[in-house]
Amino acid sequence: MDALVILIPLMPLVAAMVIGLGHLFGAIDGEAGESLSADIASWAISMSCLLSLALLGADFLGKNAGSYMIGHWLNSDTLDIPFSFITSGFNVHLAALFSVLLAIIIRFSINYMHREAGYHRFFFILSLFSSAMLLLVLSGNVVLTFVGWEVAGLCSYFLIAYAYDRPVAVLNATRVFVTNRIGDAGLMLGAGFSFAWVGSVNWNTINAAAAQLTSGEATSLALCFAVAAFAKSAQLPFTPWLARAMEGPTPSSAVFYGAVMVHAGVFLVILLRPIFEQAPLAMALVALVGLLTAVYSFVIGLTQTDVKSSLIFATSGQLGLMYLECGLGFWQLAGWHLCAHAAVRSYQFLTAPSLMHNERCLNSEFPTRNIPAWLYVASLQRFWLDPIVDWALVKPVRGLAHDLSYFDDHVIDCMMGAPAPAIRAISSLAQLEEQRIGAQLDNDSDQFAQGSGLAGKITQWMAAILHWFEERFVLRGIGKDAINYGRDLGHIANKFEQAVLRPRYLVLFVLITLLVAF
Amino acid sequence: MSNAHFPVLSLIIFLPLLGAIAVALSRNIRLAKSLTLLFAALELIATLVVVQLFNAEGNGFQLVEQQQWIPSLNIAYLLGIDGISVLFLPMSALLTLMAIIATWNSVQQLTRFHFALLLALEGITIGVFVALDMVLFLLFWELTLPPIFFLIGLWGIGSARRSAAIKYTMFMLFGGVPILFAIILLAVNHASVTGGSIPQDLAFSLPVLLATTVPDSLQALVFLLLLLGFAVKAPLVPFHTWLPTVAMEGPTQLTALLTGLKLGAFGIIRFAMPLAPSAAVQYSWVLGIFGAITLVYSALIALQQTNLRRLLAYASVSHVGLVIVGIASLNMQGIQGAIFQLLNFTMISGSLMLVAGFIQHRLGSTEVIHLGGLAKVMPRLGCFYFLFMLASIGLPGTSGFPAELLLLVSTLLAHPSISIAVLIGAILGAAYMLSFTRRAFFGPITQASVQQIQDLRPRELTLLCVSALIILGVGFFPNSVLRTNQVAAEAWLNRLMDQSVLENKKLAEPLQQQ
Repeated sequence: MDALVILIPLMPLVAAMVIGLGHLFGAIDGEAGESLSADIASWAISMSCLLSLALLGADFLGKNAGSYMIGHWLNSDTLDIPFSFITSGFNVHLAALFSVLLAIIIRFSINYMHREAGYHRFFFILSLFSSAMLLLVLSGNVVLTFVGWEVAGLCSYFLIAYAYDRPVAVLNATRVFVTNRIGDAGLMLGAGFSFAWVGSVNWNTINAAAAQLTSGEATSLALCFAVAAFAKSAQLPFTPWLARAMEGPTPSSAVFYGAVMVHAGVFLVILLRPIFEQAPLAMALVALVGLLTAVYSFVIGLTQTDVKSSLIFATSGQLGLMYLECGLGFWQLAGWHLCAHAAVRSYQFLTAPSLMHNERCLNSEFPTRNIPAWLYVASLQRFWLDPIVDWALVKPVRGLAHDLSYFDDHVIDCMMGAPAPAIRAISSLAQLEEQRIGAQLDNDSDQFAQGSGLAGKITQWMAAILHWFEERFVLRGIGKDAINYGRDLGHIANKFEQAVLRPRYLVLFVLITLLVAF
Repeated sequence: MSNAHFPVLSLIIFLPLLGAIAVALSRNIRLAKSLTLLFAALELIATLVVVQLFNAEGNGFQLVEQQQWIPSLNIAYLLGIDGISVLFLPMSALLTLMAIIATWNSVQQLTRFHFALLLALEGITIGVFVALDMVLFLLFWELTLPPIFFLIGLWGIGSARRSAAIKYTMFMLFGGVPILFAIILLAVNHASVTGGSIPQDLAFSLPVLLATTVPDSLQALVFLLLLLGFAVKAPLVPFHTWLPTVAMEGPTQLTALLTGLKLGAFGIIRFAMPLAPSAAVQYSWVLGIFGAITLVYSALIALQQTNLRRLLAYASVSHVGLVIVGIASLNMQGIQGAIFQLLNFTMISGSLMLVAGFIQHRLGSTEVIHLGGLAKVMPRLGCFYFLFMLASIGLPGTSGFPAELLLLVSTLLAHPSISIAVLIGAILGAAYMLSFTRRAFFGPITQASVQQIQDLRPRELTLLCVSALIILGVGFFPNSVLRTNQVAAEAWLNRLMDQSVLENKKLAEPLQQQ
């Protein structure tokens, strides 16, 4: 039964490729093609849903070996990254749950997205995302998990920027992707550290070696993965990206931020349980961040006035609680919490658009009366987290980029110099016109060469001296001065050579050369 | 070294040169174009044959050809390939073919001369990759200048193209001088080590020079000279200013070749490090710091760019920095990742620059205020642009990812502090690429000219499909590339590390005696 595991992420990937290529080359297009791409996407995800349920069944019956490998993705020296999968335990449970949710959401979107612009694009991205997510939970090593992790982030970028002619949507998408990239860097760093310290990137090997790691190593490893998890699950200080991500179509919000993707962070922490248990500091941090995020989200959730925003802060709050449970060591509880929350939240998100129809007295209970004014303002402003990050990180980087750009154009480029040709050929009509008006483009007739910048100026002076030499000695013929000058020069050169060849100077020169060389 | 086999390396050097002459002499423009295409395609096939003939398991240089050239100075016509250089050949041939097809109709003046120069440049570039004699290498190295000079000066798209052509040539000539010095120093050293007389016992062939021991002081000098020379071409900060200028002023097909074929970094791997092994090991941290500075510095500048071509130029500089960091870490992951990344960027940077060329050809600008909302009117171009851009960021699934992973792992193992720079570079890479994309490809359409723009023609579509397939294929199966250079990379690394082990022993011995 283990071999089934390959097909689970592969089927949606193939579906995504078929839809993508078909749409790119015009085979699937317009309203006529809608049913085709919907069929492809839903069949593929249904198949992998069935497969993962079969895998789950086999796991319950104890027929799975626990891991499965089909060859090597990358080999370099001792670094060996196989195509390996985990086929038992929490990973399979989660894969089954996620694939069921994904199948439901894709089925929901078929009607919801009908006649929307970019219908095919939506299903392409959703299929790609399903594939990435299933790869993420089933993969047997850090690198394949990272592949799923990053591709899921990319799909989130594409769906936030779904209405790409709206500048705000695109701005938010870019911001979200770059924020997530920080977490991705953490995961990459974790992968690198586990190779450096454990010698392998397989989850099972890393977890098995947890006991042998020093506490410093375990802590750094756990912190790297924790940063990745925090960024993905929108924990503090990354929480603001989650609110920005609400730009996409509702089904995508449901699948990315309600049900599936945000849980990847918690999944990662639960997966690395042995490492975290070796690193009390990281556990404490996870608990603290979880607690703070839960409080933060609760306070902000009080003042949200639209359905999606309040749902999203409820989500980040619940995720915070899951981290708190992990940090306190209630791993089992966190796992159950994750599954239950995923199911409930995806239902809530999917019903969000029709909430107004279902609930007629929504405004009757608005729970913001009894909180202090300062907290109310802070909550409305979402604790100014976005402006703080802008002020502390984005603006300085932008400013640095601006200064460096100026430095590059006005200092380094000038230092290196740009040669100006002696014969100023006219290379554009505008220049011709300028010259006709009387711009002095080529009036430095007495200077043969000119340059700018340090190197350029030195070259120019050298050229002037040589020019003088040439004019004086060669062009005017050998006059009486020339012979005298030549004699004197020869004399000086002789003396210089004698001086240089004296042993002490020779030693000095060798010493200087050595000093420069070392 | 037998000459029994067919001189296939000479063939791939002279085939395009012959093609250049044929194209230049042909009377008819239509005929000239088809001849260009024919020769470029033949060249691609020939380079693929070379890859077929190459045995990845074999040690040392293969398909070696040796002819007397200047016997009195011991300079020979010596060609050969190993696992480091072999894949650069089909990549250069493919990129040139792509550049030719991309400019099929867009070059209207002096068309025959243009295509002849492109073919000549291809032959000379291949020569740089396969030359094993130092003088021959330098000859090819400097010979790349005339075609590039004319290509920038005659068909450039900026108003300051002539100045840019001169700037490029000046920089490259400046870079050539230290290389020449280093070559002469090495040759003279060989004569003095073997105890021979100067003109007869000079040695310029790479295999011979590799076998010659070089005194430490000289090694440091040679290494720094070679590094300086190659840093200009690579380019490393602060010698990079020619690339943005050329990207702005030069024709995009040439810029694609210049950013795609990173000869400077190749030179560092091929010549600078192995010829001065103990100095290379000793100064690897200098190299690493230079690489890290280049990486972060140009990524930050790229964040500020408003023109796609300039942005790509700075991105290319930043990627060179990453490659240099990988080389400096002196382990298998580093060197394999560096070669991998160099090969990648033949396709990724080259294709991105060609995409910029398509936009430039349609709109007359790649400046962001003239664009905006391109994805709406050019969905196909947008699609491919996205794929290449994501590959350049190093997204999984594309070929950029395995290379970046290898480079990150290598720096983590060797210089953990520099790996911070690599991570910052990865984050900034996403930031500059996506923020440009946001402004140029997304958002509402603001310009009337953008509204009427035409999407990719079938010719251009096919072109980009080929490179997209390669990028995705290599991204899914990176081992196909790594297997080719594994043996050569091991040999390369062993050479450097053995030398430094010897050094350590030498240093340790007097201590033990005390």
